[in-house]
Amino acid sequence: MDRIKQLAGHLSSSKGRDALLRNGPDDVVIVFARRSPLTKSRKGGFKDTNSSELLTSMFKATIEHSGVDPKLIQDICVGTVLPKGPTYEARSAALAAGIPQEVPIQTINRFCSSGLMAVANIANAIRAGQIDIGLAVGVESMSANPDEGAHRLSDDIMNHPIARDNIQPMGWTSENVAADFNVTRERMDAFAAASFQRAERAQALGYFDKEIVPLEGFAKDPTTGERKRIIVSRDDGIRPGTTAEGLGKIRPAFPQWGHGRTTGGNASQITDGAAAVLLMTRRRAEQLGVPILAKFVTMSVVGLAPRIMGIGPAYAIPNVLAATGLSKDDVDLFEINEAFASMAVYCVQKLGLDHEKVNVNGGAIALGHPLDTHPRAYSSRPLRATGARQIATGLAELERRDKKILVTSMCVGTGMGAAAVFVRE
Amino acid sequence: MQAALPPPQLQVARTPSWAHYSIKPSPFFDHALAVASSANYGIIGNGRLHLLHTRPQLHVDKIFETQDGLYDVAWSELHEFQLASASGDGSVKLWDTNLKDLPIRAWHEHTRETMSLDWSNLEKDRFLSSSWDGSIRVWTPDRPHSLTALPAHAACVYQASWSPHTPALLASVSADGTLKLFDLRSPFSALPSTPAPPTPKNSASWAPPPVPLAPPTMSVVAHAGEVLTLDWNKYRPMVLATGGVDRAIKVWDARNMSRPAEEGAPLLGHEYAVRRVAWSPHRADLLASASYDMTARVWQTGPNGGVLRMIHDQHTEFVAGCAWSLFEEGVLATCAWDGRVHTFRV
Repeated sequence: MDRIKQLAGHLSSSKGRDALLRNGPDDVVIVFARRSPLTKSRKGGFKDTNSSELLTSMFKATIEHSGVDPKLIQDICVGTVLPKGPTYEARSAALAAGIPQEVPIQTINRFCSSGLMAVANIANAIRAGQIDIGLAVGVESMSANPDEGAHRLSDDIMNHPIARDNIQPMGWTSENVAADFNVTRERMDAFAAASFQRAERAQALGYFDKEIVPLEGFAKDPTTGERKRIIVSRDDGIRPGTTAEGLGKIRPAFPQWGHGRTTGGNASQITDGAAAVLLMTRRRAEQLGVPILAKFVTMSVVGLAPRIMGIGPAYAIPNVLAATGLSKDDVDLFEINEAFASMAVYCVQKLGLDHEKVNVNGGAIALGHPLDTHPRAYSSRPLRATGARQIATGLAELERRDKKILVTSMCVGTGMGAAAVFVRE
Repeated sequence: MQAALPPPQLQVARTPSWAHYSIKPSPFFDHALAVASSANYGIIGNGRLHLLHTRPQLHVDKIFETQDGLYDVAWSELHEFQLASASGDGSVKLWDTNLKDLPIRAWHEHTRETMSLDWSNLEKDRFLSSSWDGSIRVWTPDRPHSLTALPAHAACVYQASWSPHTPALLASVSADGTLKLFDLRSPFSALPSTPAPPTPKNSASWAPPPVPLAPPTMSVVAHAGEVLTLDWNKYRPMVLATGGVDRAIKVWDARNMSRPAEEGAPLLGHEYAVRRVAWSPHRADLLASASYDMTARVWQTGPNGGVLRMIHDQHTEFVAGCAWSLFEEGVLATCAWDGRVHTFRV
């Protein structure tokens, strides 16, 4: 009954959909959210472009397309995992891209969620009043920096029943999820096929053109070894004409674990890519006259058993909904990272989500997110640009649907989950 | 019309099982108070308009029963025996204290709960109502329909109030978090001023008005959350106070609304939402507030924010209304969901 709801609203703090839809001058808003094309690692558009080059190009594109003078940026946070010297790369790339030396930078690493952590980190600094304007970037080149998994860990760790699971490959965790929660091969393949078909359709309709910013990369001549500059403007992981029947014929990637239901077709791809999100207070955005795309509301992160790390969103999403007073029906769109079809199927089912609201233009299975499907690969962790990429993708789709509330979420290697809430203007 | 003696201490009138929403003193009689009340805390059930006398002891003098809960009341500035009530069924009724049982006029144009009423002290033939339907309507006792219907907010308008200094200027606060000023002399697309069949009670969520929102003279996001109450300062033109779900009270100067007035560093202290603010009719710097935290408080506003002057903590439920005596300086009346009306000297 409305009167009881109203009264409850007076007694609780500012929560719920109506509260979220109100604007205030201190809101942390997004004025720019674009991603690079996502290309197949070692085969795709960025295969000869290293991570510092990819990051430099992402910075350049941000300066060119955001309409905000880079001098005004007060801090930058880059989410990235694999580079050997990530902060060397980040600081140097920013300078080379034309960002003034007065603008500081840091890198952040919470594996698969690092892009989102960069956004949350900048948003929190804005909310705390430390800065007005900040840039969050997620970047990973799996071509240049392949994931070799954990280095040797201590004997104490290896004797700990939970901690030792962290040296296991991601594929093992996918099989654990499939086996523990009885997710069948058929449902996994059906979900994966839907991801491919949705991405294929979205690409054909030009949906991704709105969120992709073409980036400069390098191409190496295979005979002469000469590197020349190229422009990459299109995702190249999408396999047109994928069907569940077709995926059903692919042999298991990890027959040695569980029921061997994970394949190269129903897991995310290894990918190169980057994404950038520029944040500021609403007050500042209005002063500068830059269009506001969305408001960052909040982010939740949780821990769970590393052996089933994939179901992190099933914990993180309820957490962030409780924190914001939203119900799942208040949410217009979910972007849940598809590390594996096993975890994606489980999360959608466990949370009781409408599949028509989840990854409506495909997810990491079609677009990219790394799992080395070759059994030789020891371990692999999802694309660090994912957290920032989902924001660009989700906001563009909300715009097409004329809807308001986006939840992005991902599982995080070593047993965590993260989720965030955004409100489109 | 001088009071013989000020009430020296707390006086209490009890009306068991009625939750009081609003209290207003008569502008004509120093002994008369009106209280808008609801059964079942205003969630469902009847309403009652209580008329109280302050002498010899504070007591209930007369009651009028209504079909739905009452949320506000306003005394006529023109006729000393008339007053209007705002009802949960969206109706506005005019009563004569000399008559019994029935209102002398009833209007039903709001499509959701009528939340507040305010009688103009400059154009004494008219008063306004604000509603959960997002509109503000202006009425005059003689007319069967509203004079004008202003589509003011896209959410519940908790309170609207005439400027005591400028005719046709009004301020409103809403669930949308804003404080808006409207000048009724500016053009806007009015809602139809005909009786609208109300939507079944509490059935649907709010639906947008059929015309675009009227452009306000001024609009500011006043609080982080719903804004429940406002009042115009009686001495300083264009100075207002607001209170909201964020538990803060803010003082604004409408000539510079980009920020709260200099003396408007938020008055913090209430532990739950602020339901009513009221400026003293005798002093420019004295403000009373009522809150869901079961207290009423009195603040002295000044250049460095405000100083809490007193806390009245005798109520045992949400304090929804507070009003200053117009005749005796420093006498405050409060009403609460504990079914009690208090008067006391600050």
